[in-house]
Formats: sequence, structure tokens, C-alpha cells
Amino acid sequence: MERTAGLKTTRSIEDRHGTVEKPMEETQATPSTPISILCIEDEQFIGELYSRALTKAGYEVTVIGDGVKALEAAQTNRYDIILLDLMIPNLTGIEILRTLRDPARVPPIHAKIIITTNLEQRQEVRTDIEKQADGYLVKAEMTPRELVTFLQSIPQA
Amino acid sequence: MNDLQKFRRRLLLIVCAIILIENLLLITAWWLSGSHSKSVELLIGGVGVGALLVSLLTAVLVSRLATKPLQTIWQAILHISPNEHGIPAPQVDALRLGRELVTSLLGQIYQLNEVTAQTAASTEEERKNISHNFIAQSLPLPLFILDAAENIKFANQAAANYIGIKAADLINKNIYMVLDMSFPSENTFDSWLKTAKIAKATTMNTWERVRLNVRDQHPELLFDLAAYYNRGNPDQIETMLLLFDHTKMYSQDDQAISFVALSVHELRTPLTLLRGYIEVFEDELSDKVDPEIKDFMDKMSAQAEQLMAYVNNILNVARIDNDQLELRLQEASWPQVLKSIVEALGLQAKVRGKTLHCKIDSNLPAVGIDRLSISEVVNNLVDNAIKYSGTSTVINIEAHLTQDGLVETTVQDSGLGISTSIMPNLFTKFYRDHRNRAQVGGNGLGLYLSKAIVTAHGGNLWVRSKEGVGSTFGFTLIPYDQLTQQAKQEGSQDLVRGAHGWIKNHSLYRR
Repeated sequence: MERTAGLKTTRSIEDRHGTVEKPMEETQATPSTPISILCIEDEQFIGELYSRALTKAGYEVTVIGDGVKALEAAQTNRYDIILLDLMIPNLTGIEILRTLRDPARVPPIHAKIIITTNLEQRQEVRTDIEKQADGYLVKAEMTPRELVTFLQSIPQA
Repeated sequence: MNDLQKFRRRLLLIVCAIILIENLLLITAWWLSGSHSKSVELLIGGVGVGALLVSLLTAVLVSRLATKPLQTIWQAILHISPNEHGIPAPQVDALRLGRELVTSLLGQIYQLNEVTAQTAASTEEERKNISHNFIAQSLPLPLFILDAAENIKFANQAAANYIGIKAADLINKNIYMVLDMSFPSENTFDSWLKTAKIAKATTMNTWERVRLNVRDQHPELLFDLAAYYNRGNPDQIETMLLLFDHTKMYSQDDQAISFVALSVHELRTPLTLLRGYIEVFEDELSDKVDPEIKDFMDKMSAQAEQLMAYVNNILNVARIDNDQLELRLQEASWPQVLKSIVEALGLQAKVRGKTLHCKIDSNLPAVGIDRLSISEVVNNLVDNAIKYSGTSTVINIEAHLTQDGLVETTVQDSGLGISTSIMPNLFTKFYRDHRNRAQVGGNGLGLYLSKAIVTAHGGNLWVRSKEGVGSTFGFTLIPYDQLTQQAKQEGSQDLVRGAHGWIKNHSLYRR
């Protein structure tokens, strides 16, 4: 499976963002300050899988499957990365994205927001979402390990 | 009335004078009849005849004089009558009797005529206005009329209903403020109008599948648009827009996509999990299980990959069919890309007992590709080769530069080959040929999709095959430099393509 690790994520990032991925040197979390991730995902098993892979890679992971609770958590706690599913109960991912990326928000949310979805959007909707987010990944097109590789490749603020 | 009395008096005078003369003649005759001489008798006879002549003359004269004014008036009436042509205006100067009366009457008649004409004209215009208004208002299609500043001068009831704003509130609003339209191509209404204003006195155009972006309104409106432009129209009808609502029809198409999208979503979730668990097993168990189990795990993994590829195929076919496939062509090194795609397919080949041989020439220029889409093409071609290679085990993948300077990639197997009977339908969708069982095998969606993707890249997908000998599928890609030149010539700034040609990035479903 090693073969796909680089390829699929590269494909996703490159195609969706129009930027050529330049894999960074490992920006793995140091033991003292683990990079914290909020995984907004209502499919329990996917949440488990992602949580497992990310925790193994040294991240600190919180999985929340409810839109309202997730938004609350995102606004209360400080996360470095938010993985955002679009189809979640009570609030849609797009609503959460809009709220978190509202330019009038004080203080602004520093977390990188990565869309992780299996939902197929019309191109213009997708483009719109991509503009506001820091990444757009299709869950079925990557394994948990490829997700880790991708997260390691994005520069941390 | 004075004139009439004067006329009557004169007429009376003339008649009285004539009667008087006549009677005088008769009296003279009577007086003379006393003497009975032959000459006197003759004289009396002469006087009688004279009296007769005088009365005849009187009758003629009176009738002439009395009817002349009537005739003049009659002529005047005929003169102004809209039904008569070529009747000259009456000459009052020639009138001996009742000139004043006739002049005054004619004055009245002509004055009356003018008033009537005016009234008639105004009612005509009013009627025209009313009828225009009626047509516009009762037209069951939304109609907007714009002035030179693109402000709405008129919007009918249907227009008001359609966009949900009162007709009165639309007047003098800028059309772009009222109608936020998205067009499926760069040929938009505003670009057309801009060109029309520069270059055309009058022109018209139609657009299909225009989307109206109404905030917070669901479902959105989809329609065809017809527009007419007429520079400097005196009635300020410079631009006319007519909307033909097709929301139902077009959204059904969209729903077809939504159905596919929904199915794809449902398929992807278990697929995500399958791939996730497979990965966990590989990580945790690979070195602990015996080779047979490891082989099964590889096969499971390969099948999951294939399922994912197939899901993507379905999705892309739906996109192509609905004109929604959008490719973003980027500069890429083909050897690098092709190698990584082939590597990713290695497991799939391996579990089927096939080997992929990759030979890539080193002199290839950079190509312009949409990476995800083009890997689906290679995926489909290699997948087909694996399926149809029969007992042969090697699949050759090669890339080289053609004589025309294009980058050509071939996938060759030494398998079953393709029967000439199905060759012509090879690139059509499977369900169109579902009766042909040989076709259904797997060449269905994949080749149709690959053809569309390669074509959208500006390249060409071809096949060479001989039954029992094997098949070679090949496709060409255009060097990136050439693509950018082409794009420049076509006035497109971005290398974005739809399945059916160039489109500009920002104009596709502009929001």
C-alpha cells in the first residue's frame, strides 16, 4: 500500500487547489505540544479509524459527530486543524465553515480547516467551499494513512 | 342664423321678382285681350308663350341657385370624408347666392373635422397603448424592458411573479441588481449587450440553461433567455428580455446528477471504511499472516481500489452527460505522472497475475493535464488490458513523442482482441449497446469516459486490435506550451476545459 500514499493525496491537493504539493519536512508534533485536531465526523467508524491513525501519528484528536456541538467546540477551544465533514446532523459543514471563516469574527479562528467529505458537489459549489477552506479531501479517495501524510504536508501556522 | 335669413330673403326676392314679372306679363295679356284684332291675338299668344318660357327659366334658375350652396357643402363633406379620394375642396367664390352662409357652414364643418381627427388620433394611440400594455401584461412569460442605462422601464406581471418582486418596485432598477444570472458559458447576457451596444444597431440572442441566483430561494430558477437590442429606440425600448422558465425540466437533469451524487455518497462511505480497515490489517497483520492470507488481503485491497475507480467513473459519466465535467489543465511532467499512476495499478495487475511493463521516452515535453482525470483514463485502459489479456501476462505501457510533437501513450496487451463487429461502438456508453453481451463485459463506461476526458484534453483516443492477437489503446496529449498558445488564441485565460470544449474558469456557473 506504500505505493499510493504519496500519489492519492498529491492528486487531491494538486487538482483541487491548483498548487503543486511540495511535501514539507516532517512537521510532526513534538511531544511537548501535540498538534490538536478536531475531527467533525458523524460516521462513527470513520471517526474511529481517523482518530486511531492520527493519534498514532502523534496528533491529539477530538471527534465530534454533531454539528452544533462541533461548532461550539471549535469556537471555544483552540485547535490547529479542523477536519470538517459536510453532511453532519444539526448543522451542515458549510454552515460551520461559514461561521468559522466569517471575516467579521473576532478573534479569527486560526485552525486550518480541511474539508473531508464523500459528498459530490456541483463544481461551482465545490469551488466556493474550496475558497474558504484550507483543503478539500474526498474520504473514499484516501486511506487514513494518506490523510496523515497530507496533514503532515501542510505548513502549520 | 343671420346668413341663413339673408339667404332666405334673397331667394324670396328672386322668386318674388320672377313671379311678379310673369304676372305682369299675364296682366298685360289680359288687358290686351279686350280688342279683337288679329294682331292683338298674336301678341297675346306671344306673351303667353313668353310667360311660359319665363316660368321655365325661373324654375331652372331657382333650382340652380338654391341647390348650389347644398352642392358646395356636399362637396366639402366629401372632401373631408376618409372614404372618398380625389374630391377637390369646394370653391366658395363661385357662389352667387348664400356665400356667407356656406362659408360659415364650411368653416364649421372643417373645424369639426379637425376636432374629430384629433380625437380619433388620440384614441388610436391610446388604444394602441392599451393593447400593447395588454399584450405585455397578459404575456405569460416574464418580460423586462430596459432603457439605454440598463434600467428597467417596464416589467410585466409574469416577470414580477417570477422573481417575486412587485412590478412597481422594479421600475428604474438596474437589471443586474434585479436579475443575478449565471450562464453555462462565457457567452453571457452582459457580454452580449456590451458588444451589441458597440457594434450593432439591432440584434438578438438566446441562451439556454440560465440560472437565476435568488438569495435564499429554493429551488433555484432555471430558464432560457431571449433578448432583443435596438439602439436608440424612440420609445426607450432599447433592450428586451424574455424569460422561458424551464426550472422543472432542467432541475430534473440536475436531479439525475443528484441521484448519482447521492448514490456515490452512499457507496463511498462503506468504501472509505473498507479501505481504512484494509490498511489497518496491512499495517498490523502483514508480517504475521501466511502468504495465502496476505495474497487475499492484496486482492481485497485491489478490489476496493477498483470499486473506487468504478464509482468515480459513474460520477464522471454523469458529469459529462450533464456538461458538468470541468478539467483544470496544469503543467506536469508526463513520465513522472504516468509512472506513479502505473505504480498505483501494480497491485491490481499483480493479483490478476499480470505484470505491467512501463517504457517511457525521456525526451517528452511537459504536458497540460488534469491529473485526476487523466489517471482515470490510464486506469481504465490498464484495467481493460488486465481483463482482456487472456493467458498473456504482460501489459506494455509506453509513452513517446509522435511526429506531430504530441505525447502519445499506449497500453498494449496480447490478449483476446476486439471483434470488428463491436469496434464502431467501442466508445459509446454500455447501456446503449446492452444487447451486445460482448460489449457489456467492461468496455462500457470506461472507454466512453476515457474518450471524453482525452478529447477534453485536446487529445485523441484510438484503438488498434485484432481478434486473437491483442489490442493497443493509445491516446495523445498536447504539450503544455502548445496548450497555452492555443488558449491565448482562443482568448481564454485559464486552462480550464469542459468535456465539450474550452470554458473560462470564472464563467462556469458564476455565483
